[in-house]
Amino acid sequence: MKFQLKNILAVMAIAVTLFSCSNDDDDETITGNGNLKLEFDNVYKSANFAFNTNYTNSNAEVVTVSKVKYIVSNIVLTKADGTTFIYPKNQSYFIVDELTTTTLTLNLSNIPAGNYTKVKYGIGVDKTQWEAGATGQGDFLATAQTAGMMWSWSAGYKFVAFEGTFTSSTVPTATQFKLHTGQTGTDYNYTEVTLDFPENALVRTTITPQVHIMADLSQLIDGTNKINFSESATVMGGAKLALVTANISSMFTIDHVHND
Amino acid sequence: MKKYTLLLVLLFQLANATEKDSLNTINPFTKYHSFLEEEDFCDVCGCSASGGSMGFASMLNSNFVGIRYFNQQYKSTDGLYSNSPWYKENFNTVQVWGRIPVSEKVQVSALLPYHFHARETATGNKIINGIGDITVLAMYRLYQTHKDSTFLVHTLQLGGGIKAPTGKFNEANSGSINPSFQVGTGSWDYLLATEYVVKRKQFGLNSMLNYVIKTENQKSYRFGNQLNYAGTFFYLYEKNSFSIVPQLGFAGEVYESNYQYNQKLRNTNGDILFGKLGFEVGKDRFSFGANAMLPINQNLTGGNVEANYRWSVNLNYSL
Repeated sequence: MKFQLKNILAVMAIAVTLFSCSNDDDDETITGNGNLKLEFDNVYKSANFAFNTNYTNSNAEVVTVSKVKYIVSNIVLTKADGTTFIYPKNQSYFIVDELTTTTLTLNLSNIPAGNYTKVKYGIGVDKTQWEAGATGQGDFLATAQTAGMMWSWSAGYKFVAFEGTFTSSTVPTATQFKLHTGQTGTDYNYTEVTLDFPENALVRTTITPQVHIMADLSQLIDGTNKINFSESATVMGGAKLALVTANISSMFTIDHVHND
Repeated sequence: MKKYTLLLVLLFQLANATEKDSLNTINPFTKYHSFLEEEDFCDVCGCSASGGSMGFASMLNSNFVGIRYFNQQYKSTDGLYSNSPWYKENFNTVQVWGRIPVSEKVQVSALLPYHFHARETATGNKIINGIGDITVLAMYRLYQTHKDSTFLVHTLQLGGGIKAPTGKFNEANSGSINPSFQVGTGSWDYLLATEYVVKRKQFGLNSMLNYVIKTENQKSYRFGNQLNYAGTFFYLYEKNSFSIVPQLGFAGEVYESNYQYNQKLRNTNGDILFGKLGFEVGKDRFSFGANAMLPINQNLTGGNVEANYRWSVNLNYSL
């Protein structure tokens, strides 16, 4: 019996010793630079978005989408201590195009290692940048032109391009719709979105966090403000663009952050 | 009242542990008390050491070596969309185990699993296989009533063990839908186990409770601690060298959240309760067992993983 008790005590002692191993990771000094990925996952309401699929809006219009592009810009990351990292402005313009998978993930590099808690970005190109003139645009001007995300230099960039066909009670045959946001005579229509990370994005030299952003495309036309294509199938100017821009504020959510 | 009596008896036994040894006569029933020992140490689903609540069903003798196959069927979804597809997961484990008494009251068990798991994906089947995590467990018989002197026969065992990271942990899988699609946790884990068996003639109830404390692996991933419990009613029928034991019971698992880089991962905690049905037959030194488990209630990984069923067969040889 004594022998057994000794054994048990020995096992327990070993176990306690092993349990006592402390994890000093919390005390590490975080240095260096790392990368972070912003993944834009287009959805329609709660469904995974797909082209050539019928979606019914609250106004009973049925839309079938064939083009989804938007400009994401001016990325700012906020650390747990409240300090911010502004991604270099000349690298901070991206076109997310549902048709091209590689554009859905923005690969941000040279980010100071740290625990990040939120991200802010713009949809469109800010006025300051546009006012920098054609030469101030760098490579992005050509990129936007190739992608069809410019009207003309004087008219400016298209911030969001959303196209397809729709039917409704008054428009029974599939009819093309086009929604392009950008500046109008009265509104510039660039807008910014700030999203809290549900878990910290741990940027390290060895960890590249991936932020999974859900972009609910239905919000563009079926958000707080309703855009009826039956009234006008082409939405490229006027007061409606301000309504669409306002809808963008509720378009994005973060589903999760992977720290792998 | 009975509980208090038992507690008092337990205390008495502890206080008189040395004396008890000399009083302890050989109980002819001893070898049966461990029929249904359920030492479950499943690390969530796939990378379990012994696998699921299939348990560690010990045979007609507490002194054996054996082999067991068990199968676990799950389905999982990424949960990202209302129209996310569900994919089947098929977890297979072949396990060699042995249970050797080192003294009259202490038994040491060892389990060596080999896993081959498959999961459907949008781009075809994904398969992982390999040696899993080895577990070594010691159980100490704290208390046992004498068959002849009591109406009910009680046996209480306590124990502890260690699971070594002999199975490979692949970090890439941890980020996927079912974080347990692994052959190992990659961590040193510790087990605390209790088992209580009460019998009345040929009827018995085996109940067990164990807790697995998991540590962070080298990839800074830590599976959540896990509580396993089970209760199994059994009936022992014997004739000559032949015996058969039908079993009916329940088994449950409760998982705490997983952590990565000391950060809690949402929707990784969960729980599941199974009903189970099985039997064991013994002839001479060989015994064969089969078990099936169906979920009664479950909430795994934020509802993104669903267990369909589990079943197992085993063949043991008494040493």
